[in-house]
Amino acid sequence: MNLMPDQPGSVVEKGRMGRVAYARIAPNEDLVRGIEKLCLAEGFENAFVRGALGSLVDACVLANDGTEIHVSGPAVEIVSLAGEVRSKDGSVEASLSGVVADPSGIIHGGPFVSGGNPICMTFEVTLEEWLPEA
Amino acid sequence: MNKFPSRHRARSMRHPGRFNPVRIQSESDLEGRHFRLLLTPGQSLRDAIVEPLRAVGVTSASTTILGGFFSQLSYCVAPPDPSGQAVIAYSAPIDAGPTCMIFGNATLGLSSEGDPLVHCHAAIRTSGGEYRGGHILPDRSIIGPTPIPVLVTAFEGFSLRQSFDPETNIPLLQPFREDARNESHA
Repeated sequence: MNLMPDQPGSVVEKGRMGRVAYARIAPNEDLVRGIEKLCLAEGFENAFVRGALGSLVDACVLANDGTEIHVSGPAVEIVSLAGEVRSKDGSVEASLSGVVADPSGIIHGGPFVSGGNPICMTFEVTLEEWLPEA
Repeated sequence: MNKFPSRHRARSMRHPGRFNPVRIQSESDLEGRHFRLLLTPGQSLRDAIVEPLRAVGVTSASTTILGGFFSQLSYCVAPPDPSGQAVIAYSAPIDAGPTCMIFGNATLGLSSEGDPLVHCHAAIRTSGGEYRGGHILPDRSIIGPTPIPVLVTAFEGFSLRQSFDPETNIPLLQPFREDARNESHA
């Protein structure tokens, strides 16, 4: 993951919110890729997560040393989610960070690993399209 | 064989009902309507969200609860369903006592019976100082002495309704275009 801005001086991006979309994503779809596919379905190039809740079979988040933290379910409840989707070179990429609760209610958190977070029962998400000024 | 023994493989769970080929049910609108809502001290989380929003014509919305104190809060966790009717079932309510809600998200929609429905998940610090999270019970959770700010993103071109989902065998909030809702009420 490249955490540096694309170009020097590009740390502030002016823009405005555009369309709003709400989706229910079905079981066994991946959290990160599901949000990317939602943007493809709705034609959003860039978006911010505006609200999300649901459950995962198991959760997989990045640890500080780059290894993966696995939280066993089912179900692991998503209790907080922040993130964005960006388009680049013909693809969309969701970067999502959040807090999850395991089946005993203990919380864990971090950046969600793409492909490692299958939805358990349902995932509800609201995205707002972000329209950068040209 | 396995070059990455620490990597857990994502599991695909078998649900009791028939697989729905539509995996993403989405609706969109030209823009969201935004409101800043203050949750009223002493009210249940449900009433504090439903009543003021109904007064401004909002019945479907996604909200971010920006954190605050509850004089009483109850929540559930979601372990496997021993009956096998669904993959998971909510546990009995857990009483967290006077609680700090660190962060929460709540969805406002309509229940299968047409009543307002609040679906809320949150991270909390319990009266015992434990960090927990789960499915908050909006009727059993009471706003503390200080109003709690909420950012509301309301939907106009479509509505959220609880509808039975055959695949998971439970009722779930799903988006429907407004005209579809009107037909069902006709």
